[in-house]
Amino acid sequence: MTKHSKIDMPALSRRHFMAVTGAAGLMVGYAAMPDANQALAGAMSHPKFEPTQWYSIGTDGRVTVVVGKAEMGQHISSTMAQLVAEELGAAWKDMAITLASNDPKYNDPVLGAQITGGSWSTGMNYDAMCRAGAAGRMALIAAAAEMMGVPESQLTAIASHVVDTKSGKKLPFGKIVAGGKANKVFTADELKAIKLKTADQYTIIGHSVPQLDIPPKTNGTAKYGIDAFAPGMVYGMPVTPPVRYGATVKSVDDSEAKKVPGFIRAVVVEDKTGTTTGWVVSVAKTYEAAKKAGAALKIDYDLGPNAKVDDAAILAESRRLHEDGTEGFLFVKEGDAEGALKTAPKVLEAEYTTSINIHAPMEPMNALAMEKDGEWHIYTGNQFFTRTTAIAAAIAGVDPKKIVLHQHFLGGGFGRRLESDMVVPAIAAAKAVGKPVKCIYTREDDMHMDFTRPLTYQHVKLGVDDKGHAVAMTHDVIGAWPTARWGIPAFLTPSVDKKGSHDSFTVNGADYWYTVPNHTVKNFENKLAQAATPSGQLRSVAPGWTFWATESMWDEMAHATGQDPVALRLSMLDGLGDNAGKNGTQTQGGAKRLANVLRIATGRAGYGVNPLPKNEGIGVACVSSQERSSPTWTACVAHVAVNPETGDVTVKKLTLAMDLGTVVNPDGVRAQIEGSALWGMSIALLEKGTLKDGGIEQSNFDTYTPMRMSNVPELDISLIGNGEPAVGCGEPAVTVVAPAIANAIFNAVGARVRSLPITADAVKASMSKV
Amino acid sequence: MSTLNINGTSHAVDVPGDTPLLWVIREHLQMTGTKFGCGAGLCGACTVHLNGEAMRSCQTSVADAAGKKITTIEGIDPHGQHPLQKAWVAEQVPQCGYCQSGQIMQAASLLAKNNAPTKQEVVDHMDGNLCRCMSYVRIQRAVMRAAAEMRGEPGV
Ligand code: FES
Ligand code: FES
Repeated sequence: MTKHSKIDMPALSRRHFMAVTGAAGLMVGYAAMPDANQALAGAMSHPKFEPTQWYSIGTDGRVTVVVGKAEMGQHISSTMAQLVAEELGAAWKDMAITLASNDPKYNDPVLGAQITGGSWSTGMNYDAMCRAGAAGRMALIAAAAEMMGVPESQLTAIASHVVDTKSGKKLPFGKIVAGGKANKVFTADELKAIKLKTADQYTIIGHSVPQLDIPPKTNGTAKYGIDAFAPGMVYGMPVTPPVRYGATVKSVDDSEAKKVPGFIRAVVVEDKTGTTTGWVVSVAKTYEAAKKAGAALKIDYDLGPNAKVDDAAILAESRRLHEDGTEGFLFVKEGDAEGALKTAPKVLEAEYTTSINIHAPMEPMNALAMEKDGEWHIYTGNQFFTRTTAIAAAIAGVDPKKIVLHQHFLGGGFGRRLESDMVVPAIAAAKAVGKPVKCIYTREDDMHMDFTRPLTYQHVKLGVDDKGHAVAMTHDVIGAWPTARWGIPAFLTPSVDKKGSHDSFTVNGADYWYTVPNHTVKNFENKLAQAATPSGQLRSVAPGWTFWATESMWDEMAHATGQDPVALRLSMLDGLGDNAGKNGTQTQGGAKRLANVLRIATGRAGYGVNPLPKNEGIGVACVSSQERSSPTWTACVAHVAVNPETGDVTVKKLTLAMDLGTVVNPDGVRAQIEGSALWGMSIALLEKGTLKDGGIEQSNFDTYTPMRMSNVPELDISLIGNGEPAVGCGEPAVTVVAPAIANAIFNAVGARVRSLPITADAVKASMSKV
Repeated sequence: MSTLNINGTSHAVDVPGDTPLLWVIREHLQMTGTKFGCGAGLCGACTVHLNGEAMRSCQTSVADAAGKKITTIEGIDPHGQHPLQKAWVAEQVPQCGYCQSGQIMQAASLLAKNNAPTKQEVVDHMDGNLCRCMSYVRIQRAVMRAAAEMRGEPGV
């Protein structure tokens, strides 16, 4: 455990996070009453059939899937419904969704916790949801056989009906449920024994069925955390200190705030979990009064130990760690890279950095907290209910069983809502004033108190032999460690030499699928950054920076040795040894599949076909994000134009190819790739967070400037799905775009930029060196 | 006490005249389709119509809105079947959805005046509306689809 986190999560530490199904769920939360959303779905008032905890079928034939994943626009709720519907034999029009509470029975079947991230959801729930659907179908058929007086073997389920294949007679699912005979409960072993459909039998999986969460998102009825209300509630606005972390409140003078009509009181947040430091909540009858009064509070702070930390200090510490070398944890150790570098005829060496990045989802952080009959009800949208339950319990001072989390749609997640800070001021304030409190961050606080993508530093050394083959690479990855901050030991990974544990979520991707005989990757924690900038997981996490370094370096090598960057990559994607992948897993096919998407993307982009105008260039990159065990093979070709006078970069076109194994909803996948490719481009060129005097400098969308419609380039997206196990699609494209753009800029004007975001100034400066 | 005419209904609200319209609509009247994103006129999530013009409700005071015809996403069509709303479903635009009320309200004010916009006109009109999920490609397509429907073109 780090010193930031004192939450006791014994259940989590006892088992490895990736433990397989079968063990009991985590008992950190317990919902005594059905979730409000479920009640709303209307399913509760009718008799119904609940083959598993994952869905119910009503007498009206409506199939309501309980989604244990956070719905943040990746449409995971529809994906889960598709998997159930496929095996159940339900018609898509009969499918509905509801969001699960924090009851542990809704824990992820593989992870054993409620967490949404890592592009894991589809892959890890595919089997369980299919089996749940199949179990329901078998139970309905058994009941129908009795009702129709025919043998089960003669019956099949199609479009929400059980159909007698001999007579053609049909019974709708709703009628069977109303008959009360569908009640078979399946044991874990029985579920496991079910023979599932094969891909060629699918009628719903693989089809672009309309997403179930979209209609309410076009008419204002979709409910986000910020839209919750409770009787008698008042409003809270956090007032945060000028430093990101480590401040304490010395005194609060509320004499001016008291003059604001409706002001109730200022609450100093006591946070023994260390999630927040030095926060005060201005509580008032209305939000606008809370805001006015908050601005009128005079707070005296002790700014703590981080008040002088800035980007330059963090970068200097990272360089020191690299030069010192002793504090790194081995993540990859193939052959003897250090030795091979000494004898390699050619050695390339470079530093790659990425700036702080801010999540800034469109819905600022918020939560509504209400105590009722000894239970705390929290209304919010969150990606990590298991941990949020524990933190809420610690702030409320109650047993975790007394915490009921009511899930809402997330107005953007991107990893920001893996954190639990939003419940802290809400509960603290509600406790202090004895009333329900809806606490809403201003955009400024949402940015200042973000759990940012950390500032990262990487040092890469590459040895090349006389034939132009890469023979050795050493790669140091240095930054704050978001996952370590969570204080969940099971999240950490033992180093290759077993000398200790490290946060592999900051180095994933560096274990790429290219064959390089001598390869060392070391992961370092920058403790200065860790203390001053509690960092978080930002959409795509480590592969967002590791591939930035390695995919840039391959390009540098190609140019330095006179090779074509595509041919060079293909030669190293030989699929030999460990890079062959493992059948029956998501890695099936291995490096050859990465070579395949690279060929598809370059082919579609017309790579090398036509000469380009002056100051335009094409660059390529290919990645295996997210983790080595769950690769989504992705390639990108970027076509850019650079203004040689200013260094301004215009992206004209991004061509992407992605191999997802199995594509559950092609249109949904496309939407995710469109969004994530543009995220990648936004991070590559437009988004820059900075730290000064211990505080994040950007406050709103005038200084932190994500992409707008006028920046959007032409997109060309190819999906590949040849029936291998499904992988995630929400993040990988983020990671491939930045190196493709940087490589294109080099081809356009000879400027090599090694820090993200790529600014016009940096391009210009690098051009003048050419 | 101010009187606000929202979606054809009068609401008497007892708030200071400088209160942002956004908070009155969302929190006092609990019409939550209109969203808070930045509070500074930078994102467009809070867009509503004032006498048919798209306005940022976070930058509009109750005093300024009183006496005008206010339309929110809930009132743009009685059945939620405005051509833009239908196009938004047809093109499967929303991801997280949080910005989309504002996007639709912003686009509606364009199409009310110009039902045959060029791509550049759409971009210029929509550029103040952020979508953090970056659903821009589909927003563009959906605006064009809705415009075609409004022109009565077949096949939509
Ligand atoms: S909330 Fe009004 S423009 Fe952002
Ligand atoms: S759909 Fe999420 S911000 Fe636009």
